[in-house]
Amino acid sequence: MAEIHGEPSQLDVLLPRDLAAASTRLILTRWAAGVIVVLATAASQRLLGIILPATGLYAVGVIILLYNTALSLLARRAPSPDPATYLARLRRLVVLQVGLDWLCMAVFLHLTGGITSPGIIFLLIHMLMVTILLPGVSSYLYVVLGVGGLLALAILEAGSVVAHYNILPSLPTGLYLDPLFVASQVVFFGAAAFATVTLATGIMTQLQRRERQISALFQTTRAVSSSLSLHEVLDHLTRNAARALSTAHSSIRLLDETGDTLELAAAYGLSQAYQDKGPVELSHNPLAQEALAGKPAIVDETADDPRLQYSRQVLEEGIHSLVVVPIVGRSGPMGILRVYADQPRRFTDADAQFVMTIARQGAVAIENAMAHESLQRADTERAQFVRTVTHELRSPVGGAQSLLRVLLQQMSGELTPPQQDIIRRVETRLDALMSLINDLLALAATTTSGFQENPEPVALIADVRNAFDLRVTEAQEKDIDFTFSPPSDDPWVRSGHEGLAHIFGNLIGNAVKYTPSGGRVSVAIEVRGASAVTTIADTGIGIPEDELPRLWQEFFRASNAKKSGIVGTGLGLSIVKRRVEAYGGMISVHSRVGQGTTFSVTLPLCPPPAS
Amino acid sequence: MANILIIDDDPDMVLAARLCLESGGHTVDSAGDPTEGLKKIKANRPDLIVLDVMMDSATAGFQFALRLRGPDPDPDMARFAKIPILMLTAIHSTTPLRFGPDDQYLPVDDFVDKPFEPDALLKKVNALLKK
Repeated sequence: MAEIHGEPSQLDVLLPRDLAAASTRLILTRWAAGVIVVLATAASQRLLGIILPATGLYAVGVIILLYNTALSLLARRAPSPDPATYLARLRRLVVLQVGLDWLCMAVFLHLTGGITSPGIIFLLIHMLMVTILLPGVSSYLYVVLGVGGLLALAILEAGSVVAHYNILPSLPTGLYLDPLFVASQVVFFGAAAFATVTLATGIMTQLQRRERQISALFQTTRAVSSSLSLHEVLDHLTRNAARALSTAHSSIRLLDETGDTLELAAAYGLSQAYQDKGPVELSHNPLAQEALAGKPAIVDETADDPRLQYSRQVLEEGIHSLVVVPIVGRSGPMGILRVYADQPRRFTDADAQFVMTIARQGAVAIENAMAHESLQRADTERAQFVRTVTHELRSPVGGAQSLLRVLLQQMSGELTPPQQDIIRRVETRLDALMSLINDLLALAATTTSGFQENPEPVALIADVRNAFDLRVTEAQEKDIDFTFSPPSDDPWVRSGHEGLAHIFGNLIGNAVKYTPSGGRVSVAIEVRGASAVTTIADTGIGIPEDELPRLWQEFFRASNAKKSGIVGTGLGLSIVKRRVEAYGGMISVHSRVGQGTTFSVTLPLCPPPAS
Repeated sequence: MANILIIDDDPDMVLAARLCLESGGHTVDSAGDPTEGLKKIKANRPDLIVLDVMMDSATAGFQFALRLRGPDPDPDMARFAKIPILMLTAIHSTTPLRFGPDDQYLPVDDFVDKPFEPDALLKKVNALLKK
């Protein structure tokens, strides 16, 4: 089973920005190193009177400063857009720095006494640097390189291939020729270097693990709050659990309605064959039982653990150890989270506890996502239900209305005046019933997402004009002064044609309906700041002041409107308000009984659609 | 005067439309679903079809119209493509949007809202027959 590579992971120990910062620190330190080499040489020679190869040492200091200038220019290059390329470039820069330092260090050691140099200790700094910046085998390679280099220098000096400089006069002159001294220096330094690198690597690994866990926990917390899709949430959880424990395989199984079968809900890094291995039944799976009882279960070696239900498939998949933890929701156990590893004895109790933490966070996310999905399902079902009911209610009423109208037109024979009066009364009642059905459907549409249009930029004037035009005939019949004043520039509002037709159809319709003959109804659109304000002002019967607060309630009708004998359901305005608010707008009303009413609909402007 | 076929699954609506059209002097036949409607069209070619929308499916009427005179009609339907279609629909009372005839999308000649005004129905039928 191959580890999963390739995707840039946020969980790498050294992010490009960390490596870039470390590189910058190295460059800063090197400025100091170069200056110190020069100053220390001068001080040793002038103040302490030490005889040393000053020219060579000055040269080393100047060379350090020179290549550091070049490196700092290289480090200033803009980061590549691709993180992988950028990281590779930064790594190359670090390797280049380490290599150059290494060469200078060798020359510096040679000039300060070779195997007897007090500067040998500086090599340890290099080893540490490499361990931290380029973790892995390369750090041990540098130990070998460093110790080997030191030994080579000692041999070259002892064999007089290169000169030996003794800068500490108190040291015996032939010390560098003493095999025992050379051997002890190399062995002690080698041991110290090896120990340093091993300790540092251990700490780095530990840090790496911590960072992965913190990052996984952070990602999980974010998944809890950022997604309501069950699929996405489960996907995040499996991925994060595996990464947190530095493995490449995990899965989540959730209990089905029977409460016995654990259905695979998400898998990360598992083969299809393994995912399809068969049903996981609680009654046949001791591991799942243990986990669902609330305790994490660890399998150290799958080859000889009797608790596995599918031991052959587990081994075929290359899994040698695993940890199973329960996913416990508010209403009890919901399922299990498993993390697998290719090696035996891979998981500790601390790992299991950590996966438990992820599973606890995950349970909240899973429950939220499930609740959201069932709400969405209910909403769709409700929309379908309302549609069916509306059709079933409307058809018989429509049939009856059509028959009555044919009857009233005397198309099936003469009617006596009393018969006509009765049929007209029935017709009025049926008309009221029909508008109630239509308004109930419209009301359902404002609260059911299955009915809602997706808001998009709509040119306001045309839709208000349509609503206006539909009432022109009625206004003329009542001899109403009926005017529409649009602005010169067309305002765009984020809304829908159906909603706008409803809002303005209702408000303009009401204005004409409740304004006595000879009155005035004026519709106007104005742009004020970032809003389009549409006002519908009439000289109608008005609304009593004490009834205004209840105006938007369902089924509420003002007392004078009821008395007027005009048919209405009391649903229109509450639907209008909901629709206006759904578009992010506001509606307000001013009214005086006997003088008239003005409604103002304020809708936020939006940019017109592109092209 | 003319021979009109009403296709609607609501017998009351059929009766109302029949009384209205007969009072205007037309001969009226009716079908309760699109299949029966097609049979009657083949047996006795009508001068005009009054077509309901929601029958056995929510868009049965639209589909029937498309079959008769869609952009890609059945070859054996071609001879019926010229029959005017008047669509009788309740869709306008569910939505404030106005539907209009469209040769490509909705190959019908005119709409009448359900419940219908008898005068308006007769007027539209006579206007279509005159064309």
